[in-house]
Amino acid sequence: MLPLLGGVFLGWSLGANDAANCFGAAVASRMVKFRLAAGLCALFVVVGALAEGRAGIETLKDLTAVNLEQAVAITVAAALTVSILTVLGLPASTSQAAVGAILGIGFFNQEINLAGLGKVLACWFGTPLGAVLAALVLYRILGALYNRLPISLFQSDMLLRAGLVAAGSYASYTLGANNVANATAVFVGAGTLSVFAAALIGGLSIALGVLTYSRGVMETVGRKLVRLDPFSALVVVLAGGVTVHFYTVLGVPVSTSQAVIGAVLGIGIIKGAQTIERATLYGILSGWFLTPPIACFIAMCLHFAMHLKYIPH
Amino acid sequence: MFSFLFKKEKQLESLIYQYLENLGKTQEHFLKAMDTCLDDGICGEFGFLIEQTHKFESKADEIRDEINYLMYSRALIPESREDIMNLIEQVEIIPRIFELILHMIRTQKLKIPDAFMLEVKDLIRISVESCELMIRQIDLMLKKRHGIRALLSTIDHNESHCDHIERSLMFKVFDSDLDMVHKLQLKELIVAMGEISDQADRVSRRVNILTLKRRV
Repeated sequence: MLPLLGGVFLGWSLGANDAANCFGAAVASRMVKFRLAAGLCALFVVVGALAEGRAGIETLKDLTAVNLEQAVAITVAAALTVSILTVLGLPASTSQAAVGAILGIGFFNQEINLAGLGKVLACWFGTPLGAVLAALVLYRILGALYNRLPISLFQSDMLLRAGLVAAGSYASYTLGANNVANATAVFVGAGTLSVFAAALIGGLSIALGVLTYSRGVMETVGRKLVRLDPFSALVVVLAGGVTVHFYTVLGVPVSTSQAVIGAVLGIGIIKGAQTIERATLYGILSGWFLTPPIACFIAMCLHFAMHLKYIPH
Repeated sequence: MFSFLFKKEKQLESLIYQYLENLGKTQEHFLKAMDTCLDDGICGEFGFLIEQTHKFESKADEIRDEINYLMYSRALIPESREDIMNLIEQVEIIPRIFELILHMIRTQKLKIPDAFMLEVKDLIRISVESCELMIRQIDLMLKKRHGIRALLSTIDHNESHCDHIERSLMFKVFDSDLDMVHKLQLKELIVAMGEISDQADRVSRRVNILTLKRRV
């Protein structure tokens, strides 16, 4: 059980950071109480992990062959990378950290599944672009429907609020389905866990992070989303969810934060407004390019340190 | 089906409609009071109608406080909350003007000379009509129905007409043989009366903007 703690820690930090992408707007605007949001998010994360987490787990476990010791090094390295970048104020993707750490161990093992890696890299670039596209399409379609609805201002308000809860629950489902692999896939590769057990433990770890430590991030990230009008905030959450779900079906863990940022950019294109500041974009880009090499380096260091032997003179 | 989840919103909706209904009653009593005053002068009936107008104005304040309380307890989404609070703040200026005019007449014992009577009656009638249209426009906005722009245009037209009457009355007052104190009293009264349609026009423009803002 002890070796799994690295994965549980990674899952916990993932839940604490990424729940904001699902329910941040609803909580920060006080449309939904934190307890309800966290409860729904935790529930749907576990459901998503169990229902559709398999594909991502299969992809990550096949990137390189690892033993239990290496699996521990990977999860600890990924968790450390995310923590360091968060402390530095740079947005870090758990998916990129996990893959970076797997590559670090893969270099040691001199065995990397290049086809799988290529698919993962392509999907990373595709995530923000896909989210931009999803936001553009969803805004147009849902906007046309919304404008035609014969409902009062109060009903439209209730609809938006219910929509935000539904979209948040869906985004939570996709978060669990897509990102559970980051936390526990390597333990499946090491032969320690079955796919079902990995999905369950990973899902529960993410849910634990959501329930215990996501409030602060939800308020901070949510306040940025709330600057958008309620309908746009709803589209952003939904477009992020749809994009992450698409990559879940492809079996590639991607960053939910990058999906949400892409969706916010999409709304900016529609409205002809700058929805994200340039400094934020630079932060995202530097986090994007720094995360995999840092995780790779830390995993290699950890692996090296674990194999140091004391030789007496 | 999920109405139990939106109890506060339902309560708020009913309070806003109560507020509008109450505004209608304040306006109705103001009009009756003005008719009584212009036809019979300051009499007992006029005093009674002033009290009635005050009663409905106070009731409007109570309803507004309840609305604000619900808003602060997080009914509606933040954007709608802000919009509705600002709108009510603008609307509640109108019953205050009604009260101001009635008290001005009572405390200063103002008598409108016969030469200005027709135009004053016109000014009051058109101003009150603008308020009625404004209430209808708010109702349309809340129900998300069409016709808001048409009402905006009528209220705007009324406002221009009221401005015209106001200016004409001012000229007549200062061209008349009345003493300067009476002239200044009448000037103050006419400006207050003209403010009703100006405020209705401001609210109407606000309602139009809110409607456009809510379109995706």
